[in-house]
Amino acid sequence: MNCQETRRHWDLFYDSEGDAELHFQLNEHLENCVECAEWFDKQSRLESLIEERLGHETSAQAVTHVDWANVLINAGVTPVTKSRSWLFFSSGILALAASLLVVFGLYGLRFGSDGAPSLSHLSAEVHQHVAAGSLRPEFESQSDVEVDEYLLNRVSFPVRCPPRKDSGFAVSGAGFCELSDQPAAYVVGTVDRHPVSIFVLPKESLEAFPRQRSELRSEPLTGCREGDTEMVFSIIDKNIVLVAGNVGREKLTRVLKSYGTYPHTL
Amino acid sequence: MTQTDRQRAERFVAYLDPIQHQLTVYCSRALNRSDETADVLQSAVANAFRDFDKYSEGTNFRAWMFRYVTLETLNRNRAARRSPSKLEEQELPETGTLDITSFRLETLLDDPEAVLDHCDGVVAESIGQLTEQERRILLLRAVGDFKYREIAEIMDIPMGTVMGLLSRARTQLRSQLRDYARQHGLLSKGDSA
Ligand SMILES: [Zn+2]
Repeated sequence: MNCQETRRHWDLFYDSEGDAELHFQLNEHLENCVECAEWFDKQSRLESLIEERLGHETSAQAVTHVDWANVLINAGVTPVTKSRSWLFFSSGILALAASLLVVFGLYGLRFGSDGAPSLSHLSAEVHQHVAAGSLRPEFESQSDVEVDEYLLNRVSFPVRCPPRKDSGFAVSGAGFCELSDQPAAYVVGTVDRHPVSIFVLPKESLEAFPRQRSELRSEPLTGCREGDTEMVFSIIDKNIVLVAGNVGREKLTRVLKSYGTYPHTL
Repeated sequence: MTQTDRQRAERFVAYLDPIQHQLTVYCSRALNRSDETADVLQSAVANAFRDFDKYSEGTNFRAWMFRYVTLETLNRNRAARRSPSKLEEQELPETGTLDITSFRLETLLDDPEAVLDHCDGVVAESIGQLTEQERRILLLRAVGDFKYREIAEIMDIPMGTVMGLLSRARTQLRSQLRDYARQHGLLSKGDSA
């Protein structure tokens, strides 16, 4: 194979296409021809830089942000959150949105290895759905004041304002769920653009999660990991507060600690 | 929603989830107006979900899904331009006229970053100059990381055409970048095409 023929096959070489025989011949030529080897390197470098820029998102030609949760709902894949179709539970106040029924209808309850319901498993599951866009919170707002108001009027147990922005947490919504029959409110948002969810349960629900109860007894601020989801939890005043996300534990701890910076009069 | 419907939706979402980012980038780059990305993805997802029963388990979902997005982006650009005929014809490369080996892009090759990073959007802008097919093939390769055979399936064209058009798209793009570099004084005067 001469230089011209070799160079004409650069595409196939770069894309790892074509048969083994061709690659053998190309490699043979490149081993013996410095000019072509250098030419191939430069072409490949330029091409990979071009590819990098095409896949790049943060440039001025940024890819428009796409809200996939919305795409899925509008495309009729996931059901629209019906904020009016509340289901009332014995507590009489806590509501469960239609979208959450999907999650739990499909996944059921998650149990720890000891067979008891696991708060971390369940929270991680809800968080992952929120992060993936397959679960939308009932209420969406980037205002912590609005989210706070929304939660306050709907839960039987005390909740507080979402963590302040200086904790790194940017709120985007809130909703309700049941974690192993225990009512829970959750606040979703991001830390460094990574999805983070905060779950708030009344302190008494700890009885339903024996493992977390014993962990909290020995360690007031406990952390664990479920798959890709990192989490920290603690008892803050009258709540169990669990912060789950795909960021480091220190950042989650910061959010957890800032939770309740503005306590409501209980 | 019945249990079966829900399972179907969950399965679809589970397949879709890991490729959402790639689809977003691909769709946005393939469209003439990237602000239509969400809308186009929505139509493509709706169509794919409607046909989801036709998708056979174990086959390449990613390629299957990219096909829907490809079609939808073509339709959208076509509707915007109202000149459908041009898209129907397959512009085969004229051998010899646009050969990557015939270009001497010395500065671009020696210091590609100087050109590519001169302005953020230079590459994304430049692919807008390619034909609809060339642009898609280049993006399916560069963003979707598909093999030629998969691109041929997604585009519903022969593999030989994929190879020809990809090679041509790359050469065209480099030519655009060289022109851009020259306009901005990034190439030395002695540099010739
Ligand atoms: Zn050579």
